[in-house]
Amino acid sequence: MITRADALVILLACGLVASTYAWLWSPGAPASQVRVISGNEEVARLPLNEARQLEISGPAGITVVEIADGAARCAASPGSQGICQSAGWLRRAGDMAVSLPNRVIIEVLGDESEFDSMNY
Amino acid sequence: MSRAILHRAAAVLAILVTTALMAGCERPEIHRDRFIAFGTIVELNIYTADRELARTAAEAVRADLDYMHGAWHAWEPGPMGRTNQLLATGMEFSANPSVLPLIIEAKRLSEATEGLFNPALGELFALWGFQSDDPQGPPPDEAEIQAILEQQPAMDDVWIDGIRMRSHNTAVRLDLGAYAKGYGLHQAMEHLKDLGVENAILNAGGDLRAIGRPGNRPWRIGVRAPDGQGVLAAIDTKGDEAIFTSGDYERYFMHEGERYHHILDPRTGHPARGTRSVTVIHDHAAEADVASTALFIAGTDDWPRIAARLGIEKVMLIDDAGVVHMTPAMEKRVRFETKPKDRIITPLPDGQDAASVAPPA
Repeated sequence: MITRADALVILLACGLVASTYAWLWSPGAPASQVRVISGNEEVARLPLNEARQLEISGPAGITVVEIADGAARCAASPGSQGICQSAGWLRRAGDMAVSLPNRVIIEVLGDESEFDSMNY
Repeated sequence: MSRAILHRAAAVLAILVTTALMAGCERPEIHRDRFIAFGTIVELNIYTADRELARTAAEAVRADLDYMHGAWHAWEPGPMGRTNQLLATGMEFSANPSVLPLIIEAKRLSEATEGLFNPALGELFALWGFQSDDPQGPPPDEAEIQAILEQQPAMDDVWIDGIRMRSHNTAVRLDLGAYAKGYGLHQAMEHLKDLGVENAILNAGGDLRAIGRPGNRPWRIGVRAPDGQGVLAAIDTKGDEAIFTSGDYERYFMHEGERYHHILDPRTGHPARGTRSVTVIHDHAAEADVASTALFIAGTDDWPRIAARLGIEKVMLIDDAGVVHMTPAMEKRVRFETKPKDRIITPLPDGQDAASVAPPA
């Protein structure tokens, strides 16, 4: 026979399990960060909602990363073709700009993107 | 304390312990790592609950690719650079074991592509400046191009007997750029499998090999549009597959308003014209790498014949008018995100003399 106390214990236990599930198993936060890798090291991980500019030194010179309006971009980089800059503003999770000569990767992190990997 | 209260306390304790244990379990997730190796950007996705395995595997892949890049780079000091020096002497020598298997395979694949994949033309590649990460142009003089072509360096000129090697043509200079990345991805993924990784994508500069699946869905791959504007198509991988694309947008320079890209046609000595990109799906990354380059050069008329010779069944070629040419097998695998201008489905010819033999181990 279940008493009120039993019911309360079961209810509390269910609540505990549910809150633990929500805490541990819910999806990550929305896209909000930019990560900058220089060489083989992460040199910056910054929120996209704070406008700022940073300069990353690499073997070919300085790569300038600009953050504004919830996006990031490669504002300047030493490559002669401007490939890093041509990636434009990075807004969607998984978007990235790369300067191979300067060994810099700028990527936007966030929610699961539509694709696991891009072929090009 | 009554027996009933003890039972209730035990029940609460059991629930708490179980909850704590569940919280301690890590569920499988995709661990993503990006780094620069092999002269390009490398992305490794591993689906596992074992965080330590993901970390160890990423380090192993990075070390593998760094080693292979150093060994196989035609223009930096190392085993391939030394091999080129020795080939240029015309004398017989013992080949370095780190490059010998690649060269043997490259000979087979060069023949299968009717010479459209010709890694013996390294001098031509260098003449255009495409051995650099940042090619700047301008295009070389026509006389210099013709001077190299007249010497007809080809993989047939490279004689191999066991580990002994020599070149009958001192103009041979090996640059395995259109092949080494695929070979390297194949080897690095084999290493990952040996380490216990079962579900992963290894992507180097946009070309990839995928194994397994992340949970109960396939890996989802986006194929970027050749004009760089968004995603052209989506492909879900099946088991162990490589997806390779060669495009005129990958490495190029502009000169007087014209784009000069790095996929050189060995017949003309100039960038191949008429094609924007070629995507292939195949079970071996090295063959996929060669095929995407060779079919790009083959162009709209000859790609089905060359694909049949290579044993590549899934091909998508986009010509310079934006028309998509596909095999029926490829059509079944792609979902277009951007509607193509036009679509032509071409089956591969039957009865081709398939020069492709057993793929490399």
